[in-house]
Parts: sequence; C-alpha cells; structure tokens
Amino acid sequence: MRLITFVGIVLSIFLTVSCGERKTAKGKVYWHSEDGAPTKLDPIESATTYANRITTAVYDTLYEYKYLKRHPYELKPNLAANMPEISEDGLVYTIKIKEGVKFIDDACFKTKENPKGKGREVVAADFVYSLKRHFDPKNSSQGSWLWRGRIVGLDDWGKAAREAGTTDYAAKIKGLQATDKYTIQITLTEPYPQILYTFAMGFASVVPQEAVEKYGKQLTTNPVGSGPFMLKSFNKTKAVLVKNPTYRKEVFDIHYEGYDEEKHGFTGIKALHGKTLPIVDTVIISFMKQDVARWNSLNKGNEIQFGTIPKDQIDNALMSKKPPKVIEKLAKKFHFDYERESGFVFSVFNMTDPAFGYSDDPKRNEMNKALRKAIRKAFDWQGRIDVFYAGIGEPFVGIIPPGISGYSEFPKDSITRDVEGAKKLLKDAGWTAENLPVFEYPNAASTTATQFFEQVRGWLEEIGYPRKKIKQKEFATFGDLNKSMKERKNIINSYGWGLDYPDAENVMQLFYGPNASPGSNASNFDHPEYNELFEKAKPMPDSEERTKLYKRMTEILLEECVGMFGFSRTRLKLWNKNTIMYPTREILSNVFKYVDVIKKDKKKKKNTKADGNGNAGDANNSGDAGQKNTENKE
Amino acid sequence: MTNEQNKQETIKKETLWTKAVRKFFRDKMGVISFSIVCLYALIALGVACGFWATEWSELNPDMKNTGPSADFWLGTNILGQDIYQRAIFSTKTAFEVGLVVALVATMLGAIVGCLSGYFSGTWIDEFFLWIIGCIDCIPFYLFVAAVGFAVNTLAQNLNASFGIEGFEYFAMHIAMIATFWTATARLVRGEVIKIKHLEFVEAAHAIGVPGPKIIFKHILPNTFHILLVQATIAFVSAIKSEVILSYLGLGVKNTVSWGKMIAEATQEVPAGIYSNFFAASAFLFVLVMAFNIFADALQDALDPKKVS
Repeated sequence: MRLITFVGIVLSIFLTVSCGERKTAKGKVYWHSEDGAPTKLDPIESATTYANRITTAVYDTLYEYKYLKRHPYELKPNLAANMPEISEDGLVYTIKIKEGVKFIDDACFKTKENPKGKGREVVAADFVYSLKRHFDPKNSSQGSWLWRGRIVGLDDWGKAAREAGTTDYAAKIKGLQATDKYTIQITLTEPYPQILYTFAMGFASVVPQEAVEKYGKQLTTNPVGSGPFMLKSFNKTKAVLVKNPTYRKEVFDIHYEGYDEEKHGFTGIKALHGKTLPIVDTVIISFMKQDVARWNSLNKGNEIQFGTIPKDQIDNALMSKKPPKVIEKLAKKFHFDYERESGFVFSVFNMTDPAFGYSDDPKRNEMNKALRKAIRKAFDWQGRIDVFYAGIGEPFVGIIPPGISGYSEFPKDSITRDVEGAKKLLKDAGWTAENLPVFEYPNAASTTATQFFEQVRGWLEEIGYPRKKIKQKEFATFGDLNKSMKERKNIINSYGWGLDYPDAENVMQLFYGPNASPGSNASNFDHPEYNELFEKAKPMPDSEERTKLYKRMTEILLEECVGMFGFSRTRLKLWNKNTIMYPTREILSNVFKYVDVIKKDKKKKKNTKADGNGNAGDANNSGDAGQKNTENKE
Repeated sequence: MTNEQNKQETIKKETLWTKAVRKFFRDKMGVISFSIVCLYALIALGVACGFWATEWSELNPDMKNTGPSADFWLGTNILGQDIYQRAIFSTKTAFEVGLVVALVATMLGAIVGCLSGYFSGTWIDEFFLWIIGCIDCIPFYLFVAAVGFAVNTLAQNLNASFGIEGFEYFAMHIAMIATFWTATARLVRGEVIKIKHLEFVEAAHAIGVPGPKIIFKHILPNTFHILLVQATIAFVSAIKSEVILSYLGLGVKNTVSWGKMIAEATQEVPAGIYSNFFAASAFLFVLVMAFNIFADALQDALDPKKVS
C-alpha cells in the first residue's frame, strides 16, 4: 500500500512538472520567446531589452509609447494622468499622476493595521523615491546617466550620501519633489526635452520603499509594482507573469493607440478595441538563446507563439526579400511582419590610438586619417548585409538612422566600396605593406564573430594590407570585450547601438568628447567644433534648427572618418495565428497587456482534427491574409 | 660459415629498434596508415612552404555557399571562401598543433617522469605525483579553456605593456601541453623505477657516474619506445582537441582549422548546407583513423614483450 502511495505521489509530481506552466495556468495563456535572458529585474539595473520588457510589465512608468504608433513613436500618459505641464523656459515639469492606482498585495505592506499586506496607493513620493534610488551610492544603478547633471540637486543628494556614508531618502531635493500626494515637480538644470522619454523607460519604474526595505537585493526576484502583471516565477530559462487582479481600469482604444487599417488590419487587432487591459491571464516568457530551439518550438505550433526567423532559415522561410515575404506554408500558420530596428550596427576607430587615431605629429595625423579613410573605402556594407543580415536592408550615410528625428541625407561615398580609391589613398599618404600598423580586430569568441573578422581581413587584403598584419583579438566573453573597449585598448570597436529613446540626441552623444570611454563614446572622438555644436543642440527640441546642427556634426564625423556607419537591421517576426497582437522589440516595452489569445473551441477543435489541420482551425485569418500588405513601412 | 651460423649472427646484430622496424613493416595496415600520415605531412609541408592553398582566406562575395564545381572543388562557405583550400590549409594547422604539443608535452613528461621515477619514494617524487594528480583531477576541457584564456590574457598584456607580439597564438598549445604531459610522466616514471634497479644502472652508480648523467644518458634513452608511442598518441589527441576547442571558440586564432570549419557548419547544416561539415570531417576522420592505426602498429612493434 505504501509503495502504491509513493508511486502515486512520484507520478503526480512528474506529471505536474512535465505538463508545465502552460497546462497548469488558468485562463488565457500567451507564450512568448526572447533570444536572451535578463539577469536582474530591479528597475535600477534593468539595462537590457529583456529586463526592460518584464520590469515595465510589473511596474508602472509615468509615460509609455502608443502601442500601434511607430516611426515616429508617440508618448502617452501611463501612470501620469496626462502629459506634463512644462514651464516656458523648459525647466520645470509638473506631472499629475492617476489617483487610486495600487501596488500589488505583498508581504512588504504588512502592518498591524494591514495584516494581509494589501497593496497601498501609488503616490507622487514613490516616483521621487524611485528616481533617488539611482543616485544612492549603495546601489549599482545602470540608468543614473539618464538624469546625471540634469535635475537640480539630485547629483548633490547622491554626493552628500556618499560623503556621509548614509542615505537620507527623506531629505528634500529642490529639483525633484512631490508637491502633493499626486503631483510631481521636476526642475531641470537646463532644458532637456528628452526627459519625457526617460520616464517611459524601465529605469524610471515606480517602486515602493517598503519593498526595497523588505527585499533589498532580492527585489530583483520579488518585484512589487502596480503594472498590469505580477511576476510569478523567474529563472534563467523562463519568466511567468500573471494578471494583476488589482490593476487599474484601462481600456484598449485602438484609434488612440494609432490604429491604421492598412498597416494593422492583417493582425486582427481591431477585435480588441474596447477590451480591458491586460487581456491574457498568464504570460510565459521563454529565454531561448539557441535560434534552432526557438525556431523548432515556434513551428511545433503548440509551444511559443512568437519568434523571429533565424539567420540560417531566412532563405528557406522567405519567398522574397524586397519586401520580405514568407513562404505560403508559414503564412498559413503565422502572422508575419518586419520592422527596422531603432538602432544600428557600426564600427568606430579608437581615436586615442596613435596608430589609427589622432597623433601629436601632424604628418602622422594626416597619414592616419588617410588610413582610416582607406579602411572605410575597403568596407563593403552590401557584402556585410548579404552575409550576416540575409541581404535585407540598406546601409545609411551618417549616424542618425532614417526614421529618427534629425535624420538628413548625405552623398553615399562613405558607404560605397572603392578598392582602387583605397589603394590610392594609402599610396598617396605614404603607406606601404612594410609600414602599415598591425590591425587588430577585437571580438567576443564566437563563430559569427570570427566570420566577421575573416570578412574584414579579406577586404583589407584586397587593398594591400598584409595578411599577417591583420589579427583577431578574441575575448572570452562580451563583458571582457566591453571592458577592453572601456579601457581604450581596442583600435576599432564594432557593435550595435539600440536607441534608448527615439531621438537623435541619443545618437549624437555617442561622439561627444566628455562622454569618452568609459562613457558611451567608444571612439573617444573629441572634436572642439563637434562638442560645441552638441552642447548648443542639447537643450533644443526636435526642430529644423537642431537638424541643421546635427547635419554639420555628421559632416564632421564623416570628414574625420571616425568609423564605418551605419546599418539598421530588419527584424523578421512571426506570431501564431491564435494570438492577436502587433509585436515589436523596439522602443516600446510594456506590450504584453495588449496581447490576446484565441482560445480553442472544443467542438471546432474536433472538426479541425478531423480535417487534419491542427493549427489554422481557429485563426481569424488564413493564407496570405497573414502578411502585411504595406511594402514601405519605414 | 654455415647457414645456422649466419642466422645466429643476424639475430645477434638485431636490436630492439631493428626488430621493431621489421615487425612494423610486416603490419600492412600500419604501413598504409603510415603512408596516409606521410601524405598529410607532405600536404602540410607544402602549405607551410606556400606551394598550395595560398588563397584560403580570399573572399568571393558572388559565390557564397555554392556546391562543388570546377573552380571550387568542395564548394564555398558563407563568405565565398574556397572550402577545399581551407581544408587543405587546415592540415598545416593540425600538424603544427600536433607536432608542437606532442614534442613539448612528451619532452616535459619524459623529464618529469625520469626525475620522479629516479627519486621515487623521496619528496621529489611526492611533489611531482601531487602536481600530476592535481592536473589530472580537473576536467580536461575546463582546464584547457581556463589555461588558454589565462595565457591569452597574459599575451594581450605582454603586447600592451612590452610590445611582445604573437604570444597569443600559442595560448591553446600551452594549454594542451599543460595537460598532456602528465600521462607520459606517469608511464615514464613506472619504467624508470623498473630500469633503475637493473645492473647497468647499479654499475654506473658503482663507478661514480653523477646522478643527472645516469638519468638522462643511461635511463632516459631506455624509455624511448614509450615516448615514441606517447608522442603519437599526444599528436592525435592534440589534433582532436584543437578541433573541439576551435569548435567551442577556444582554438587557434588568425588561421583556419577543421574545428573552425565544423563550427561554421553548425550554422549551415540546419539550412541544408553541408560542404564545410563534410570536408572538415572527412579530412579529420582520415587523419585521426590513420594516426590511430599507425600508433597501434607502432605500439605493437615497440612492445619489448612482443618484439622478443
């Protein structure tokens, strides 16, 4: 008898575990996938897209982006009751927050009067506290740079805490105050029009002080927010979010969110108009770094419902690349969409490296400039796109990607390959195979990174660079590579930059002298005119005048040949037809609340099985209807 | 002189080595394998001298992922590079790694094994056994990866601080040598313990020959049959390890190897492109098989019990 009981217990545990979260979850379940995993979910450390997506789902931010309005993006109030009142000089922001918004129930709120730990109301002081946390010397904030030197008194508060060795959160800051229970007043040191974008980022999530005090470093796995979801579980492979039962009443108004029949009609999202958010009860997020695993899971039809097309499957999955269009077999099962990333990939020289960058010797300085230009001429953007980005997309001239405010057109010579021109430049500048410096191409150890290197080596060999002088500088991890970059040890840095917010200022600061490594300026470019123009443009909102300044700054970058830029990759997205959404991984982050899943009708399921078509049975679209019609979405 | 006398004379002149050679050449599989290894060595030598496979890194952007053709015998990879040339060039990489690792690891193992065996029972022996034990108890690839990265970092620092270049190329070699010598050392130690009690060593002691001379002139040469077999085993292990380490991204740098080709193939096979995979695997398989059979034949030929 005991044996039977034991076997029974073991079997039931086994079945429970093997059935997984999806089968045990009640209600509608959406199963999402990401190609990387977050490590920390504390808002002050949520620096990655993966972390940001979860933090914004469980915490509230003052603002967020309209779900369907993209390129250009548009902010809308989230926790804030409306858009801010901004003083005429652009220095004082007054923001009202919604009344009656509550944090989730949690043990951190337990008191004698509140023994069940009912979530308390979110107040303006919570936002003030959350922003102060970034400047608390005890915290390792990764988002403090967004507000450093921008808000009156905030830096001084952090400095005082560092000097005193203790942090006084009760101390008032002149530029960051809760003037009443629902009003936040922010005073800036100088106009900073991008500040509203920063309030839509996960870094600016509103955290209750009680939770931080109770959980400390464990807040990362015990988030206590007021967002649409609550974190049920989180590990390296999976996060599970469940609907927040106390979430405020929020209704999906597709027209307000930017609905356009031509762009969004194929998704069926129109059916969600008027629905209360969030729509699904559970969101499972699988962190699957392996492309093959993600692709297989998506194609199984009953596992992940969203995925991207892996690089090695693009030729099999697409029937055309311009514009991207999936084959019929996939179009029957999935909705398909493509989107240019809000960022770009580029390579920049380390301008402090005497062999390639600036030199005190004027003659050598000119020689180095010619060398950089020759390398740029050898760079084959189309070749790179063909090999590593499936031939989808085109490079752009300058540093501001098309579609971002401040973008200007330039002649294409900086992205046009010219081997003979490169050879001539080298010859005229006095470079020979003997005196060319060793070109070390740094990367983190991976097959793709090695292929990047081999491609660059091939290009440089064509312009007469001796093979033995082109070397790979391989690092064990991306962290090691990044460290070397921050320590200015690399001669060239190739990486991707994802925009934190959809404004060109976020790009132009990449070359601002004072931001040099270990700051975001990996090229360590420090040009007096560029710096001056940047400072002049910094307080300006998007305008013709600012665009003019940015144009001149870009010309300087091109003339000095700071690097090879740039290319915005195209994301190819597939989602199962039993889901309704318009997915993105650019700029927007709090998107799970808009997702709906069509639950299978049992009778219909039987019929579908009889037809031998298990997947497409209950989709509201089929065949080519699953593809986006618009060709030029950018 | 009678036939019987002639036969006895021949037997008298035959040493362990001549017997081994005679026995080896009687083993057909051994000879065939040896010929294949020689052919590979010839290919590697030709590559090193720049006779062939000189365009292994050349890009052909219009010819990416093509199948076998008259221009590209084994097709091209994603960058349009000639897979045949890359596979041929990788032979040099394999031999380079194999030779360096086998020679240095065997020499190191021989020296440590000799010292340890000669001083068996003393603190010197204990010390070496402790080191060998420590190294052997660490999982091989973990240890090699750790040493490889440490040496690589050291090389980068040397380059940055003193301008010493090229040291990073040998990071993986050093990592493999650091692990491969222990097996040789153990075997040699056992053999030396046996040899040091033989009459000729005792005689050398009796006439006052110094210890180091006894070790390296009289004892070490008598372990050469072990060293030869161990060197061949180390050679083939080094080649296999290089492939695995390159596959893991820890292998050779600035060059191509079969491991790197197989690593590239992992991205191509799911898309139905097999050229890299088949080319590298076939070259590796034939060499490793040939070397294994050759090593077995050599072991049989040099085994004193079998030879006698």
